[in-house]
Order: sequence, then structure tokens, then C-alpha cells
Amino acid sequence: MSMIEIDQVSKWYGAFQVLADCSTQVNKGEVVVVCGPSGSGKSTLIRCVNGLEGIQQGNIIVNGIALADLKTNLSKLRSRVGMVFQNFELFPHLSVTDNLTIGQIRMLGRSKEEAQARGLKMLDRVGLKAQAAKYPGALSGGQQQRVAIARALAMDPICMLFDEPTSALDPEMVKEVLDVMVELATEGMTMMCVTHEMGFARKVADRVIFMDHGRIVEDAAKSDFFGTPRSERVQLFLSKILQH
Amino acid sequence: MYEFDWSSILGALPILSHGMLVTLEITLTAIVIGILWGTLLALARLSDIRPLAWLAAGYVNLFRAVPLVMVILWFYLIVPALLKDVIGAAAGSDIRMVSALVAFALFESAYYAEIIRAGVQSVPKGQVNAAYALGMPYALTMRLVVLPQAFRNMLPLLLTQVIILFQDTSLVYVIGLADFFGAAYKVGDRDGRLVEMVLFAGAVYFVLCFGASLLVRQLRKRFAT
Repeated sequence: MSMIEIDQVSKWYGAFQVLADCSTQVNKGEVVVVCGPSGSGKSTLIRCVNGLEGIQQGNIIVNGIALADLKTNLSKLRSRVGMVFQNFELFPHLSVTDNLTIGQIRMLGRSKEEAQARGLKMLDRVGLKAQAAKYPGALSGGQQQRVAIARALAMDPICMLFDEPTSALDPEMVKEVLDVMVELATEGMTMMCVTHEMGFARKVADRVIFMDHGRIVEDAAKSDFFGTPRSERVQLFLSKILQH
Repeated sequence: MYEFDWSSILGALPILSHGMLVTLEITLTAIVIGILWGTLLALARLSDIRPLAWLAAGYVNLFRAVPLVMVILWFYLIVPALLKDVIGAAAGSDIRMVSALVAFALFESAYYAEIIRAGVQSVPKGQVNAAYALGMPYALTMRLVVLPQAFRNMLPLLLTQVIILFQDTSLVYVIGLADFFGAAYKVGDRDGRLVEMVLFAGAVYFVLCFGASLLVRQLRKRFAT
């Protein structure tokens, strides 16, 4: 059963086409990695999945709910789709605990105690229980991103979207974030990850999608993607990143 | 050589302090309404709904392009008629005070709107996306995520505007309202000690405003970190 369905999606910024006829799907429990050069439209595509960006053509269906349907309560849907951003986007004026609970209290109607218990559990899961009272500014980049993942998890998401979660991190901090993501993947979370981390893709991805110039160039099972990629573009990409 | 005589200040303290109350009342009303109405104007101006953005821009540009003294005078001439026609208020109510409050509140809103607009734009777009991604609708996103950060960023500017406003309240002399400056002027005129009273009033404005601006400087330093 597919959790995310992307059906012939096209998008333009003015005259510039950022997404061209993209179709794919993410099944329940599946981990799909989206990669490709900068400006290929991969971040735009993942932002469209929870409606942060609109599309001009095609359909996106999440958990059986069409985003374009006027009857769709976008807020409600988003509250169940976890999203992690490149720049973490923790709320700097709120403590870590408040960051973890604000969505639960406001959007899921949980009580403060309930939300705190759930939030702290998730914080413990990403190994940062001791940081609960701090403000985001006092944490390292890697810690902030782990808190951001905990914030998304505290909403009990039906799937998780990662938009280049390690691109803004110092190299030493990439691992601690990837470790959390690997753990999530092995626990069966449905995940769509835009990332350049091919090691992560090799380890946990079920499928890998390669995008270039707004098109999905390759959409293959992991073994096929790394073993016998069909398109020359992907062969070139892989040869370049695997050289060093 | 002019002989200074400061003796009339002491006896005039009750009148002067009542004047200061009027000044503070106008200032505080203009701050509260100005920030509330200014926030709405700023959000309207940043809105994707074009007509709303245009209306807000028109309002802001109009008030920023007209001298405050004239706005005060206009409202003094218009508000009494409005009060009588719309609410049927008693003729005895203090028209001057009401019209001054309305004029300052609406005028200051235009200035606050521009400061708040800059403050809202200083909050990264990613913060809005993060709030949306948690499911928050627009109004909640603004209230819980964007505005708290925006106000923090623009606090020094807002306070500077408050200091300017505090000084500008003295312009209500054009409608004969006895604010602090007006009261000092009246007492000086009555006792034949205009020079002393105006100097004294100036000194009080200076101490209050300079003190406040030092405070703002401190705040700026603390927030710069």
C-alpha cells in the first residue's frame, strides 16, 4: 500500500520549470532516498509532498488523501507528516522541551503533561534527554537536528520527510544524525529522504530516485541503482562520487 | 540681564503632574493601539491577498506623508461630528482628549506597521515552513512562531519610536489640550515666567528621553549577542 503517491507532478516558477512530470510512490514502511545535483528539484519535490509548495499539474496523495482536494484539511495532514529541514528550524525563542511540545499541544490537542512525557521520550531516543531545558542556540548543529527529528517524531507521524538533513552540518556531526535516521529506518518508519549521503542510501534505502533538471531520471531498487543503473546520467554521477 | 525666578515651579507641580498624566495617557494609548493595529497592518501589507496589501500600503503611506500636527487638527475637527452623528455622545465629553487619542493611535500605527513589517521579514522563511510542517495554520504560526521572534528583533526600534512619540505628544498644544508641555506653558504665561517654565519642561523631556535612550542602547547591546 502506498503512503505517498506522486502522480505526473509538474511545477513552474514563472517560466522556469522546476518539476517536470514526476511520478513515483513511497510504500508503507519503505525508505526512499532522493538524490541528484543541486537545482535538480529534489528539495522542491519533497516540499510539495506536504504542501509547503504548490504544484500546477498532477496529483499528490498522502495516506489516501489528495492534497489538491479542497476538502482536505492540510493542517491536519501536515501534523501527521514529520518533516526535517536542512537548517533544523527549531524555534529559537522556545526551550527544547517547548519545541517538542508546541505542536502536540496545539495541533494534536494533547495535555501539557502528556506532550512533555512524549517529547522527553523522543528526546531520550535521540540521546539528548539532558538538554531538555536548554535553548536551541546552546546546542551544536548535530544536536539541533536530532532535536528537530525528535520534535517530528513526538507528533507520531505516519511518515517522515527529510530535506537534506545533514547538508548544513559539520562533517563530524553528520554521523550522529545519520545514526538516528538509520535506527528509524530499521524500525520500519516510512521515510522519504533527500540526501547526498550515499552511504546512508546503501545501508537502509529500499529504493533510490535520481533527479536532474526537474525530472526523475532513475527510480530503482537500491541494488539496481548502485549495481546496474540504466541511465548514463546516474552512471556518471556514481562514478564521480565513488572516485574519492 | 534676565533675572531667572524658578519659584513658580513648586506651586505649579499639581498642574504639571496632571499634564504629565495626560502626556502619558496619550503615549500609552498610542503604543497599545499602535502596536495592535500596526501588527494587523503589517501582516496585511505582507499578505498574498493583493487588495488587502494595497489598502494597508495606502494607509501607511498616507499617514507617513502627512505632518502629525495636521492629523491632530483634522481629528479634532472631524471626531466631534462623528461622535455626535454615530454614537450620539454627550456634548460635554472631552472632545479634545478623545480626538487626540484617536489621532495619535492611528498615526503611530502607520509607523509601527513599518517597523513590525521589517521585524516579520527578519524571521527566516524556514521558521514559517517548520510551523506549517507541524500543522499550524497561518494565524497560529504568526502568533506563536513569527511575531515573538520579530518583536524581539525589533524591540530597540520600537522603543526608539516610543521615545519620539512621547516627545510628539507636545503637539497637542494646537488643540489647546493641557499635556505636560501645555500645562507648563499655561503656568508660565499666567505667572509671567514663560522662559523658566519652558526651560524646565524641556529639561524634564530631556532627562526622561535621554534616560530611555540609554536604556535602549543597553538593550541593543544585550540583544546583539
